[in-house]
Amino acid sequence: MNDPYIVARELGKSFSSKAVLSGASFEVGPGEIVGVLGKNGAGKTTLLELVLGFTPATAGSVRIFGYDSYRLPGAAKARIGFVPQQDELVNQLTAADQIGVIASFYPRWDDALVARLCDEWEVDSRQRIKNMSVGQRQKLSILLALGHRPDVLILDEPVASLDPIARRQFLEQIVEVAADGRRSVVFSSHIVSDVERLANKIWILKDQRMYWQGDFDSLKESIVRLHVRATRMLPESLPVPNVLKLKRNGISATAIVKDWGPDVEKRLSIELEAEIEVEHLALEDIFLELHR
Amino acid sequence: MFILKPHSGVPIYRQLSEQIRRMAASGQLPPGTELPSIRALALEHAINPMTVSKVYSLLETEGVLERHRGMPMTVAKPARTQSPPAKRVAHLEPQIEQLVLAARQLELGEDEVVEALRNAWEVKDERPVHRRTRAR
Repeated sequence: MNDPYIVARELGKSFSSKAVLSGASFEVGPGEIVGVLGKNGAGKTTLLELVLGFTPATAGSVRIFGYDSYRLPGAAKARIGFVPQQDELVNQLTAADQIGVIASFYPRWDDALVARLCDEWEVDSRQRIKNMSVGQRQKLSILLALGHRPDVLILDEPVASLDPIARRQFLEQIVEVAADGRRSVVFSSHIVSDVERLANKIWILKDQRMYWQGDFDSLKESIVRLHVRATRMLPESLPVPNVLKLKRNGISATAIVKDWGPDVEKRLSIELEAEIEVEHLALEDIFLELHR
Repeated sequence: MFILKPHSGVPIYRQLSEQIRRMAASGQLPPGTELPSIRALALEHAINPMTVSKVYSLLETEGVLERHRGMPMTVAKPARTQSPPAKRVAHLEPQIEQLVLAARQLELGEDEVVEALRNAWEVKDERPVHRRTRAR
């Protein structure tokens, strides 16, 4: 396994005494696509800004390419691409001028890629930014983050204003970035279905903490909804650990269980003398269940 | 070529690997059939390339697919001409699970479901819909 690009240990940030993120440990390796989920205010933007070194950590550490994020040398910065939630485009410029300004910072700017994306995404390079729609601005700012072919691409709610076609084009571009297995992507989104397509790793932030993180496939396999039907009254609680929610009604019950597996299923059906149906959940349902 | 539903509760890698296994076992993908490149398949479905590569590696280990240096992956020749029925039936497990679940929700009994299944089978048998795979 290659060395991870991003390594955070017990990362935290607080303002005066109010914690906006605490105790987050994570890694991102080459080729990975990480989907960051969380309600508004859960700490997503804070986490991304700490990784980018926009703000110093008040606890723990985060390193990117081996350097402390907050003291990143220029050469390491040039390997990062970032799309902020609020674009930082200059209203008076045309798209072409804005591209030129950004390109001038990067020795390995890929003009051909940017020209192709402008064409495919229908970004008119002669148009003044102040006359652009929110969606056009968002496309332009994604394009600007891709132009120097960054090794790590970080996007904070990149697709909120894109129409379905533009979103699909964006997703395809992310696939392109990840396809060679040497670059990685971290993106936060409320559009769970996009995360579901692309992410191989999921971070779920809740109450300013990393609530769940791991391999997306195991998340889908480990959190299930059970439909239990017994022949006699069910006990008040199920005899297995990690029951997140239980709705009991005499001899039948539904439950949300974490860390599910065949052995847990066996144990439960024997102990309860019940029929158990296991329902695997879509990411949106998992997310909702974890927040109830 | 494949039908993937990212929003299903079944992880994409399981959907894809089960389909390839099934299509290879049934002869719908005859031995030697080339599979799309990791990049092409990932782009087509807008899914993570690592997911596709995980599936290809898994199926290579199982002997369903064959890797060739610098060439597309292909469907491997089965060890015997055809795997035993019990093994092929195992590929139907996800569909059967779904069917049983739906039948239970409709409060249907075993007999009724088997009867319906048999009817569907006979209707299907009367029509010459079975596609023969062309020899390569």
